Amino acid sequence: MTSRDIAVVGWAHTPLVRHTEQSETRMLMDVITAAITPLGLTRADIDFTCLGSCDYITGQAFSFVSNLDAIGAWPPKRDSHVEMDGAWALYEAWLRLQEGDIEIAVVTGSGRSSTGDPSLIYPMEMDPYFLAPLGADPVTFAALQARALIDAGIASERAMAEVAVRSRGKGDVDTLLAGDYVREPLRRHDLPPITDGAAAMVLAVGDRARHLVEHPAYITGFDHRTECHNPSFRSLTDSPSTRIAAAAAGRGDGPIEVAELQAAFTHEELLLRSVLELGDDVVVNASGGALAANPIMASGLCRIGHAADHILGGGHRALAHSTSGPCLQQNLICILEGTPAEMTA
Amino acid sequence: MTRFVDSTITFPYRRSLGPVVGAFMTALTERRILGVRHGDAVLVPPMEWDPATGAELAADLVEVGPAGAVDSWTWVPTPSEQHPLDHAFAFAFIRLDGATTPLLHAVDAGSSAAMSVGMRVAPRWKGTRVGRIDDLACFVPGEDAETDGEDTGPAAEPVERMDYLASITYRNPVPASNDRIVEVSHEHRLIGLRCPTCARVYASGNGYCPIDAIPLGPECETDLPNTGTITNFVVVTPTPYPGQTETEPFARVFVLLDDTDVVITYSPVVDLAARDVRVGVRVRAVWIDDEDDGATGGLFGAWGSFAGWRPTGEPDVDNPDLVNRIF
Repeated sequence: MTSRDIAVVGWAHTPLVRHTEQSETRMLMDVITAAITPLGLTRADIDFTCLGSCDYITGQAFSFVSNLDAIGAWPPKRDSHVEMDGAWALYEAWLRLQEGDIEIAVVTGSGRSSTGDPSLIYPMEMDPYFLAPLGADPVTFAALQARALIDAGIASERAMAEVAVRSRGKGDVDTLLAGDYVREPLRRHDLPPITDGAAAMVLAVGDRARHLVEHPAYITGFDHRTECHNPSFRSLTDSPSTRIAAAAAGRGDGPIEVAELQAAFTHEELLLRSVLELGDDVVVNASGGALAANPIMASGLCRIGHAADHILGGGHRALAHSTSGPCLQQNLICILEGTPAEMTA
Repeated sequence: MTRFVDSTITFPYRRSLGPVVGAFMTALTERRILGVRHGDAVLVPPMEWDPATGAELAADLVEVGPAGAVDSWTWVPTPSEQHPLDHAFAFAFIRLDGATTPLLHAVDAGSSAAMSVGMRVAPRWKGTRVGRIDDLACFVPGEDAETDGEDTGPAAEPVERMDYLASITYRNPVPASNDRIVEVSHEHRLIGLRCPTCARVYASGNGYCPIDAIPLGPECETDLPNTGTITNFVVVTPTPYPGQTETEPFARVFVLLDDTDVVITYSPVVDLAARDVRVGVRVRAVWIDDEDDGATGGLFGAWGSFAGWRPTGEPDVDNPDLVNRIF
């Protein structure tokens, strides 16, 4: 039997700042405490943890091992790690809870972008034969995709500036459009901030979830898909992995009230809205999204957290999206609802 | 104020290229660009497998370009140290003549005003080519390929490997408790942090209790004895790698401090040959003398003036459980 009765019951994030003086482990220590304490839980109540982080960004091999100090792993705990955004750690914890033998899981995402220069680190993660030797950086790839979307009529520089103004709640479009290009056609406002931070989320099953909070945010659909790595071989004006993941997660099974999209660049929100068929009736990125704060390895988990807040507050149906890789290579869709999906045999 | 420390990590990679990428790189030294046939399509750069399905391709290589048209472009006003040009340039997806997919490369166009979708570009080859994607110095506007400087000709042998030096500089915070260990080492003291919840004492400088997951501040500081017993050890035979300064086998020991439950891990020994290290040896901390100007302690000074452990001369401790204590 597969239990679909699994819910987000709470979450927390650290201050999301340009530069923190805390180590990643210390950020996690604080944020896990902040996530579990309001629920009346202690670390002893946690049956499983899955941490999302990236050694490449930390500059320390096996840095995730020291992060275990934040979960209080004594007596020994069930634990896992993904070298991905915490949104994928949540996916693993959701799968693990379906085993049916445990009740509470905590997932985290954490990263200190300020440890290095992202424009120099990310090219080294790219294809080592054709891309890394050219220093092909993420802002360059984003700009190439933005131009393709503009040429295809899916985005425009004005629509992109409107996304920036709405997400950050400041500035006006005409002033922004008068600014210089960082990577034509991208201006400063089209780019995400560089952010340090961590997030932690608590999952619970069945009656345990209902005892912890009044309105558990049930995960009723969850899927992630990837495309090939090199953007040379992909259509930059589509996101088939997002479309397939959304269909598999049941995006079309009912109306979406709130969507949180991990669109680090303004044009990515326009593409994702188009692919996910989100109309003007859907509130998109009320949190400000990744354009307001973009904590590396935690940005996607924060999207799911903000979508869950809508349900925890009494809402009915929300969609959260996370992504990884250049030009939206890999995409994850999580559907959260106020009532659990029917049990499936 | 938190102290930060910079460290640069370099990874000198040497990658094998395989039959398809190797052929592509070899052709670059001949100033030719290859794609691979996939049905009616020609993939550039060539792949061994269909990037969409993973199906193996027949390695049917075909020459493309050398000129082509720009599919998409962006302008890089301030290049990074990793970029192929040291002045403002365009990155572009270039669809070479005969290719179905675009190749990412630089275009040296002078200004963004010279760039447009559909514009024609051709390679500027490096004079000396080694079989890397940057044997193509960049592309330039127009139909005609050019070569930068004196042409030293193609590779003598097929290119099978590629060197890539990854180098990243990181800036990480140093926990105050770590600095504190170094500071008191100059007073010839070992200290630990005692957790107020579980009473465990930690001699490492992380500044928190990993059992209770709480931070441990200066108020938790406690002095530790300078004597103890070797519980376990390892003798490392050094192999040469970048940064390795040791040439002879050396020992690293684990020491259980007297009258405590604290183990000082992986530290050096002094006046004790690697072949003579054994479980049960009684030891005392060795400190670099103040007058020993310029000397650093063990492990590149990570422990300040603490240099390691010297045998006290007392009889060995005979306890078969000692060996289990490495933490």
